[in-house]
Amino acid sequence: MTDDAGPVVACRGLSVGFGQTPVLVDIDLAVERGTIVALLGGSGCGKSTLLRALTGLQPPLAGEVRLLGDDLYALDADGRRGLLRRTGMAFQQDALFGSMSVLDNVAMPVRELTRLPEIVIREMARIKLALVGLAGFEHRSPNSLSGGQRKRAALARASILDPEVVFCDEPSAGLDPVVAAGIDDTLKRFRDALGVTIVIVTHELESIRAIADRAIMLGGGRVIAAGTVAELEQSDDQDVYNFFHRIAASPAGPASSPLDRMTHARTP
Amino acid sequence: MPAAFTELDPRTRTATVRLQGDIVVRTSQQLYGQLRGVARRRGIRKVIVDFAEAGRFDSSGLAVMALGARLMARGGKAFDVAHLSETHRAALDLLPQTEAAAPAGADDDPGGWVQRVGAGVLDYYAAAGEFRALVIDVAREAALLAARRKRLPAGELLHQASVMGVDAIGIVGLLGVLLGTTLGFQALVLLERFGAGVFAADMIGLSMVREFGPMMTAIILTGRTGAAIAAELGTMRVRSELDALAAMGISPTRFLLLPRLLALTWVQPALSLMAMFLGIAGGMVVTAVAMHLPPDVFWARIIERVTIGDFVHGITKSVIFAWIIGLTGCHFGMRTTGDAASVGQATTRTVVVGVFFIILVDAAAATLGALL
Repeated sequence: MTDDAGPVVACRGLSVGFGQTPVLVDIDLAVERGTIVALLGGSGCGKSTLLRALTGLQPPLAGEVRLLGDDLYALDADGRRGLLRRTGMAFQQDALFGSMSVLDNVAMPVRELTRLPEIVIREMARIKLALVGLAGFEHRSPNSLSGGQRKRAALARASILDPEVVFCDEPSAGLDPVVAAGIDDTLKRFRDALGVTIVIVTHELESIRAIADRAIMLGGGRVIAAGTVAELEQSDDQDVYNFFHRIAASPAGPASSPLDRMTHARTP
Repeated sequence: MPAAFTELDPRTRTATVRLQGDIVVRTSQQLYGQLRGVARRRGIRKVIVDFAEAGRFDSSGLAVMALGARLMARGGKAFDVAHLSETHRAALDLLPQTEAAAPAGADDDPGGWVQRVGAGVLDYYAAAGEFRALVIDVAREAALLAARRKRLPAGELLHQASVMGVDAIGIVGLLGVLLGTTLGFQALVLLERFGAGVFAADMIGLSMVREFGPMMTAIILTGRTGAAIAAELGTMRVRSELDALAAMGISPTRFLLLPRLLALTWVQPALSLMAMFLGIAGGMVVTAVAMHLPPDVFWARIIERVTIGDFVHGITKSVIFAWIIGLTGCHFGMRTTGDAASVGQATTRTVVVGVFFIILVDAAAATLGALL
């Protein structure tokens, strides 16, 4: 077993990219056990790419990812799979299997990865579904659920084997505030009652303030700020300030309106 | 180490299940066995689960506790816990308080066989109705296109034609030649026996032009193009791209189906024509080598026997086959529902139904040709 003291998720000098163009450069971060950490940043800043790198889906160009103390990308395929079984991932597009019922979706990892009797497996799935507020939806098809219900079912599936870390990509994006708050509550229960470490990618200021213990802000492929949410809100950094105060970024140069550029282009 | 051991106290009719160590995936099955054993005992009135020496507790342990409580309730036994630590209490608090009643009408229960047969029949009628609507819509859009009131997306027809046609030239050509050689050998076996080897050319020419050219091309294109159309449209349905088109007020029929159908309409006869000639060439080689039938004699007989009418017969059929392939692919692709399995089902159905109707039409055409 891993020592409980060290960070649950850590990366050092991590660079991730597609082909030779890096999306993330030289990322250092550490996530302590039993905390909720939010990854913030504008669209396209590489939050989801970082999450993919942390969950073994996107091999890095350089640097290392340590998950529960082990170097994720130094392990062989079996070792990596074994390590990833101790983590859970809830995807942005819930990624539920459309051909299975909700209960079967949630029970699937237990069926595949353990030898528990069927009755216990079904009970586990039922308890997890009740925990995310989906009691009574066991035999529905995922296609008949609403967006929020699908996200919660995905959360139940990601957490069914009591992972030590759960990664969530935009768990409450596009949901109404009440449903989003419900998802926040569920994540908080996972942390408080089960001691789960949670890494979420999110845009929702409400939910960051409500649940995140720490926040890490990305911009331009780098970490531009990290700390408690309160610290970040007080930050002097322009981008961080803009993010927390919902200020739109100004266009590149002050004196170059589109019309100016057009007219300049015409007269050499 | 066992996950739990049970102490029975006959005086108070109480069973105490003492948990030992972690109750996790590895060990919870044992605990379940113990609880079931206790539940079956008649003399016991009360069951206490003692957490004094319990370690970590995970979801499977929690599930076993919930199942245990239910077992005892069913057996009329009292169920209680003792020596809970703070973490254990927090974990047990996660259990749902009451059994939630399922929302009414929620289950997607497939039902008994009567229901399934009924659903199948209804689905068949719905599908027939949708197919009719599809054909009407295609005809309407094609008419608007012919009247130059609407136009196809730029470059799409050429793109589709090259994907469906140019990319299939290799396989259709190769199989055409092989089919021609097979026919040549058949002719050899059958006709040489009667000293009628020279008629091999008639047989190969007529069969390739009237039957095998169009038929073989159609079967290849069903698997190649029909399945691709169904899979592409099905995936677009799953990713709501078809809904996006509808929301933009753009007819999917004109934007997606018509370019595919039109491309097939001229690609299919062209490929069939190529298959006919390559098949004849294959037959010519075989008869020249194996029967010493000079190619110029062979060719002269082809010209004498195979008429323009035979070509018209073959090419007309190939156009009908093109529409069968295109329409089945479009129909099953558009009928896809939201999940991945239904895309697979759509491609399967396209191939099976497509080949079925191609052979049906071919048989009907042969029968009609013989009667007239």
